[in-house]
Amino acid sequence: MAGAEGFVEADNAEAIIIRIEHKSRKIESLLKQGKPIEALKTALEGAPPKTQDERCKSANWIVVHRALMAIKDVDFMFSSLDPEYYDILMKGLSTGDRPTCDQCLRIHEKLTEKAGLGCILRCLADTVNTV
Amino acid sequence: MAAIAVHQFAQCITCHAWSPDHAMVAFCPNNNEVHIYKLIQEKWEKLHVLQKHDQIVSGIDWSVRSNRIVTVSHDRNSYVWNQEGSEWVPTLVILRLNRAALCVQWSPKENKFAVGSGAKTVCICYYEQENNWWVSKLIRKRHDSSVTSVAWHPNNVFLATTSTDGKCRVFSTFIKGVDIKEKKEGTSSDTKFGEQILQLDLSFSWAFGVKWSPSGNTLAYVGHNSMIYFVDDVGPSPLAQNVAFRDLPLRDVLFVSEKMVIGVGFDCNPMVFAADETGIWTFIKFLDERKTSSSGPKYGSQFSEAFGKLYGQSKYGVGNDAVESSRTRGGTHVNCINCIVPLREAGSSRITRFTTSGLDGKIVTWDLESQEDLLNYHL
Repeated sequence: MAGAEGFVEADNAEAIIIRIEHKSRKIESLLKQGKPIEALKTALEGAPPKTQDERCKSANWIVVHRALMAIKDVDFMFSSLDPEYYDILMKGLSTGDRPTCDQCLRIHEKLTEKAGLGCILRCLADTVNTV
Repeated sequence: MAAIAVHQFAQCITCHAWSPDHAMVAFCPNNNEVHIYKLIQEKWEKLHVLQKHDQIVSGIDWSVRSNRIVTVSHDRNSYVWNQEGSEWVPTLVILRLNRAALCVQWSPKENKFAVGSGAKTVCICYYEQENNWWVSKLIRKRHDSSVTSVAWHPNNVFLATTSTDGKCRVFSTFIKGVDIKEKKEGTSSDTKFGEQILQLDLSFSWAFGVKWSPSGNTLAYVGHNSMIYFVDDVGPSPLAQNVAFRDLPLRDVLFVSEKMVIGVGFDCNPMVFAADETGIWTFIKFLDERKTSSSGPKYGSQFSEAFGKLYGQSKYGVGNDAVESSRTRGGTHVNCINCIVPLREAGSSRITRFTTSGLDGKIVTWDLESQEDLLNYHL
């Protein structure tokens, strides 16, 4: 994660959008290099917490969605994803305005099998990262 | 099999407690009464019905040495019951609450008891010999929401509380005339009644079920977000561990040894947590062995139907007989377990048996001696 992001004040919507754009470029380059899992991790990290601004939320979702759609082999992704990412991934799946596309549902199903109902509960009870 | 006895006492049980010799059990069958049953020649007989409260009895505790029962209720009252001959005689304790009482526990020396309430206060009650009645002292500070659970430290002064504001706190309940000031302890500055010693802000959701380990060195409590929190070296610099687990949230915990904790909750099956040599706590296993289907998820038919609608795939179809409905196996609990009570053998600090009660109205006795794989932790 780039150090410069830490200096930007989280409440500043414009700064968040710029941060998301940086993330988007990084993800594009990772996808070109054929590293979809790295791209997904980057997309999930640094999601702006407690943002009321709709633009920030949808900008972040577009980035996450892009990384999710690029994953061809869902099972392989899970075998190489650390368990600590399960909660973050479940949270990422439940944000956004189109979480019911086919790919997302497939990932949600596999994730629930792997991480259990507790993972879903932690997303629901999470008051730090509001959607 | 870990479950050695199961009995259906009522439709729903809010809480239960055992007599000192484990011959009688007292519980509230989700109404304003407390029923006491005794096992007489292999059959459970109802011996007494304690009827004084006006609303649901939310907490019962039965003291071991003094054989007194304390009950608290949503009617904001508490009664201490003394056995005189074959009758139980109640003594009203005026708690001075304006909201429901939710939980109660006798202190280790049984000269005080603590009550958690929806009024964001904790009542510490002690017996005043001169006036022959129980006095209630309130801890009004600090809590932002209902106090769901209380637990006494072995030193009879420290009290841990959990609340629906997500925090676990430790207070001093030192009362002049009741407690003796320990000169050798270095905590003389903290022995003022109602002083908060520690506040743990680990959970973002409701906290339940706090308990101390037998030595008082470790605290465990659960959050409603399917997490259990272990705090070692409770004091100025505590070590906290957040353990996330797969399944539905827990409601209560019990330390069976320094290194092993049993958690009970919405999965209707006790969960075993243990600490390894390095002190890291992890989930070990479910106590109740169930046949788990190797194919497909292990959820009951309700979840399969919901997931089926979400995923729109036929393999989760409603009438699918192959799906193992793991929740409705006969015998042990079929609904949320909300109370776990140890069955302490006199003279032993180890707990090998405990009982659980839940919303299904059953009380189940569990035995750990038969669990060979847990012997390492169970010292």
